[in-house]
Amino acid sequence: MNSIPPAVVLLGGALALPLLPRSFRSLAFVLFPAAAMALLPSLEDGITTLRFLSFDLVPLRVDRLSLAFGTIFLLATLLGGIYAFHLKELGQQVAALIYAGSSLGVVFSGDLFTLFVYWEIMAVSSAYLILARGMERSRRAAMRYVLVHLFGGSVLLAGILWHFVDSGSLLFNGFDREGAAYLIMFGFALNAGIPPLHAWLADAYPEGTVTGSVFLSAFTTKTAVYVLARGFAGWEILLWAGVIMALYGVVFAVLENDIRRLLAYHIISQVGYMVAGVGLGTETAINGTTAHAFCHILYKGLLFMGAGAVLYSTNRTKLTELGGLARAIPVALSLYMVGAFSISGFPLFSGFVSKSLVIHAAELGHEGVIALLLYLASIGTFLHTGLKLPYFTWFGPQRGLKPAPIPWSMYAGMTLTAGINIAIGVYPKLLYDLMPFPVTYRPYTTAHVAETLQLLVGTGLGFWLLIDKLGGKSTITLDFDWFYRKPAPLLFRLTAGSLNRFFTAAELTTSNLAHRLAQACANPVEFASRFLSQSGDRGDRDIGGDKVLYDPNRYRPPVGFIILIVLSCFVVLLAWNLFLA
Amino acid sequence: MRRLPVILFCAVFALSIWADARILGSEGHAEDWWSRIYGFFPLYGFLGCLATIWIANVMGDLWLTRRENYYDSKERHE
Repeated sequence: MNSIPPAVVLLGGALALPLLPRSFRSLAFVLFPAAAMALLPSLEDGITTLRFLSFDLVPLRVDRLSLAFGTIFLLATLLGGIYAFHLKELGQQVAALIYAGSSLGVVFSGDLFTLFVYWEIMAVSSAYLILARGMERSRRAAMRYVLVHLFGGSVLLAGILWHFVDSGSLLFNGFDREGAAYLIMFGFALNAGIPPLHAWLADAYPEGTVTGSVFLSAFTTKTAVYVLARGFAGWEILLWAGVIMALYGVVFAVLENDIRRLLAYHIISQVGYMVAGVGLGTETAINGTTAHAFCHILYKGLLFMGAGAVLYSTNRTKLTELGGLARAIPVALSLYMVGAFSISGFPLFSGFVSKSLVIHAAELGHEGVIALLLYLASIGTFLHTGLKLPYFTWFGPQRGLKPAPIPWSMYAGMTLTAGINIAIGVYPKLLYDLMPFPVTYRPYTTAHVAETLQLLVGTGLGFWLLIDKLGGKSTITLDFDWFYRKPAPLLFRLTAGSLNRFFTAAELTTSNLAHRLAQACANPVEFASRFLSQSGDRGDRDIGGDKVLYDPNRYRPPVGFIILIVLSCFVVLLAWNLFLA
Repeated sequence: MRRLPVILFCAVFALSIWADARILGSEGHAEDWWSRIYGFFPLYGFLGCLATIWIANVMGDLWLTRRENYYDSKERHE
């Protein structure tokens, strides 16, 4: 039996990558997830324990749920690696591998301690993918991102400790409804992007590097979906949270001008379906959540790849600055559209077979209103990702853009991802066979295909009628990040600001003092004479009109002064002998 | 330019409402009351689309939309 956690392969790869020759690194980046994928079938169901201090940790738990998420995470790493093949930046490559590895670590960890360690590694390594863009905006976004995630991590840790004290166990299974579980859920919900804890997502993902955002779109929210499914299946609060998420994302996407931020809001919306599935908690619903996470990683990755290709070739991401690219980069458009059709749930594309599974689970559970609201979110998804974004980027007003050529690797990554999206859409058994529970649902019935097409046609009509209202405006939209971005300067002034001023003043005083002391010790006589003579003449002297830079005589004490010192010493010694000895 | 897609969509829209006569009652149809309404899904798609855009625009106009450098001026504190 093989008991090597797949995370170890990727994390080991990240350590080995800097030691490899530069030209070999891109290939190695793809080989590591491929190797880990080859290991997956040899993992047997069950847990592997490890004694650490006085705890029994479970670094590897294999069952159908963790295998499904593990498979898609490795596939995403592989496809992302191909897309980023042209990239020769070691920092980004290592960070992406660590990020993917730690996400896998979360998925396969069977105890809360191991999970927490991987959770924090994920936060830090992913922040580098934003930081690496090298702009001031991205640096700030990365800092906010990491602070928010460290806050979420702290709440999670508090919950884990509380849970451990209460139950005496670190094992990660379904939670009881108690205080500790709510803290843990808060930590998970923050990473899943459940409003009002979602603002980091739309704030940070659009600021990542071209390839970094592709990785970002895959892992953080989906590990959160996995842990929610594992720990909180059937909690009704998540059902409503999911529905709110699904609608929140599409409404905010209407106002968005930046294409990658628009896609980020759609992550929130799509993760809403998965969270709603977790809230339903039935076998069909968990299948739906898993299937949708699987497909979402594929099509959202493809959409971010498409938006990344636009950014790479034009250096722009705003709808108000883009337009008329269809002739210049038509292949990117067609591949992007595969992602757009998939996310919109067109028949024969991946989203059709996964999204409907969640909605089907809601209908089975007699949650008709939930199903109806999820259909509504679906309308918004097609409206933005399928119509607005491609129309205003590739068609719309001509801006005379001259896009730079896109590397073949980016096209290769997109083509492969698009191929898998279509394969799943055409032959859903590929996906359904990986699900945690047996799937009996059949997506291709006349009624379902017809309903979906009708919904999309209605949306299309609405888009064409209101197209003038949908063009981007060069504005930004307030979101919950306002609550920490606006008061931040004030908070900074109140806390760190005054402390900083005190430290600066103390540092200046100390260094001035040290400087004077050093001067005094370097030449005590000159220092003393400054006090004795009080003469202002300290500079260089003019002798006969020539400026003399250095005159040693100036620093030689007069003979009388030396004699005075010697005599004074004698007087002191004499006085000592006479009166004290 | 824009008239053609609108006409096309309207045609398909009408066609799909007509097609509902054949779809209703076919296999795999959900049992909720609205799925028995004639032309429910195309109408829902159309109205849902308008509602989403309208709600977002109202919210945007009322308080959500700000100029692009809204955060920049205040964040320079270092």
